[in-house]
Amino acid sequence: MSKKECLAMLLAGGQGSRLYDLTKDVAKPAVSFGAKYRIIDFALSNCANSGINSVGVLTQYRPYLLHSYLGTGTAWNLEDGIAILPPYATQKGGSWYAGTADAVTQNLEYIELNDPDYVIILSGDALCRMDYADMLATHKKNNADLTIAVMAVPWEDASRFGLLVADETGRITEFQEKPPVPKSNLASMGIYIFNKQLLVDELRLDAEDPESEHDFGGNIIPKLLADGRRLYTYEFEGFWRDVGTIASFHETSMELLGEKPSFDLYAKDFPIMSNTLSYPPAYFGPDAKVDDCIVGNGTKIYGDAIHSVISIDSVIGKGAVVKDSVLLPGAIVKDGAKVINAIVGENSTIEEGVEFGSADEGKDYAFCGNNVVIGKEE
Amino acid sequence: MAKAIGLITANYSTKFPSPLTDSRPAASIPFLGRYRAVDFALSNMVNCGIRTVGMVMPYNYRSLIDHVGSGREWELTRKGGGLFILPGSAFGTSRTGSRFLLRDLAHNKIFLERDTAELVAVSACNWIYNVDYNDLFEAHKASGADITVLTQAARDKDVDVCSFEVADGRVKGVKHGAVFGDTAFLDCFVIGREKLLELLDWYAANDYLDLFEALAGDYDRVNVQAFDFEGYAAPIFNKDTYFKANMDMLDPKITHELFSVRPIKTKAHDNQPAKFITGAKVTNSRISGSCRVAGTVTNSILGRGVVVEKGAVVNNAIIMQGCTIKSGATVEYAIVDRNNVVPEGTEIKGTESAIFIKDKG
Repeated sequence: MSKKECLAMLLAGGQGSRLYDLTKDVAKPAVSFGAKYRIIDFALSNCANSGINSVGVLTQYRPYLLHSYLGTGTAWNLEDGIAILPPYATQKGGSWYAGTADAVTQNLEYIELNDPDYVIILSGDALCRMDYADMLATHKKNNADLTIAVMAVPWEDASRFGLLVADETGRITEFQEKPPVPKSNLASMGIYIFNKQLLVDELRLDAEDPESEHDFGGNIIPKLLADGRRLYTYEFEGFWRDVGTIASFHETSMELLGEKPSFDLYAKDFPIMSNTLSYPPAYFGPDAKVDDCIVGNGTKIYGDAIHSVISIDSVIGKGAVVKDSVLLPGAIVKDGAKVINAIVGENSTIEEGVEFGSADEGKDYAFCGNNVVIGKEE
Repeated sequence: MAKAIGLITANYSTKFPSPLTDSRPAASIPFLGRYRAVDFALSNMVNCGIRTVGMVMPYNYRSLIDHVGSGREWELTRKGGGLFILPGSAFGTSRTGSRFLLRDLAHNKIFLERDTAELVAVSACNWIYNVDYNDLFEAHKASGADITVLTQAARDKDVDVCSFEVADGRVKGVKHGAVFGDTAFLDCFVIGREKLLELLDWYAANDYLDLFEALAGDYDRVNVQAFDFEGYAAPIFNKDTYFKANMDMLDPKITHELFSVRPIKTKAHDNQPAKFITGAKVTNSRISGSCRVAGTVTNSILGRGVVVEKGAVVNNAIIMQGCTIKSGATVEYAIVDRNNVVPEGTEIKGTESAIFIKDKG
């Protein structure tokens, strides 16, 4: 393989257990989002839009849909393609990825083969639009060993995050993992740029440390800081969401709606690419009603779609109402059914006349997994 | 299936100039918002397992090449076979109204000679239908015909459609134009590869004719059988039939048959989902990706990235890719070609019997 400046290692093996049934069959990065995308599209599009053409995707949990969706990476214009990197066996046996750092350690061979100057570690879970080339330029300008992307979070929420305390030049002086008394409101986004040789050396050391949990945030970063390495922040000011829970998945979906949404998919300079099938344009029946929605191709809307995300190939039957909800691809809401404050999984069906979810704001969002049928309760 | 290769004549040009085909070949005219006419011929071939397709190009091929590229969307980017871009007649020597000009086929004999397939499926791109070629191959073998043509009883009078004179399933003659009930030619046929090469030799001196015109005196010695297609088929030769075929797509039964049983593939674009702002009213319409609608859309088809502002009204219209209908504007019984901006408060109006065309912006 030819030499590259920057190689991306995209961590996509996470289960996303707090998404419950939404990740029962698929890994979190493969969960559908925004009517036609999957979560991993955002990180992959960022790579392509930032000129990073080689991406190793580390997969582990429920990989089938993810692998088939990724293909060879042509859908994202990744010229050197995607390398899918699941756990593997060797003559000494094999093991699952035991932590974020361990996943990369097990693929050091892939990094050496590509022989980049820099390695960017990305999370396949997060939704953001970010120019990694700008982050890399900052890394080089600071002559840093490691640069960590950070976002300012409200001070009152700061103690829920891994926080980085930095001086006025951006050099990191302290790392606080979910501290009761935060000294900073700069939260780590889990995006790291390492000088390649440092990364390789540190991961080899970490692998031999029996005390380590092999986690970038928990082990690698604190050690580099203790060693007096040049760690810098890269402050990101755009939109970033982790969608780790049903509530945040629902709320982030709703942030796509409205005339001037906080997460604007329509910005022209930084397209989000995806690997979608050919469906005909969305159909609206004679009595359809649509108000404040985003709608994917292949959908058929005969009833009411109100303030919702209606994904590709889904159907809203006659007299049915979908309000403040997310229909994932292929979801069917049959005639007269009502879906309110809910998430309907891929290819799942809400039977005729069934009410799924509740307008009562005190209640949690209703949700169901993929390929299920929700009938009338007995 | 029978081992077959495909040949698409994408260089049809109309006898009757229209703003829609002034700026593009008929094969790449947009259909139902996101498709182009050629998608149907290409997908039909690929869906039945054909993996070698030659495409005879029109002289103004830019938009067609842009669309089909290397054939990746149709799985025609292959080590063996795949999509072959074939030259058609130069500008000025092409012939309007001809679908299967002998000269264009003869020029590309090498494409036919280099393959070993038994059959060739040949199609133009002027009709909208989803056919299973395997039915055609079976009928062709069963009847022992030299050529099997795909036909359907004409539903309307159409001067651009060709029709056959048929007796007991065998073609006896061909004419330009069809009236209700005629055996309309769906511009698609199956022929033995070697037979086609033989016919090209026969008619080498008459290469300015269409294959079926050349056959006119020979229908007694060349066995041409008609195969009746039972599914939905619509010609799109002129603005009226083009408009009507698009409006047919507002019937979910037709679109189910056309798109769901065997897929029609098209060039993929990274379009965002369509967006509907509060106040939008959309009924009996088809809305493509990247559209943003805040106004009223009724009985219409919007191409990719069309913006309908608040207070704008689109009624019984086809709006092609990239148009903006400004606030307070009205479009009715019209086809608005690509990249037009309909300014605030203006009206573009045709009538049911006289569809208005606004050419490319």
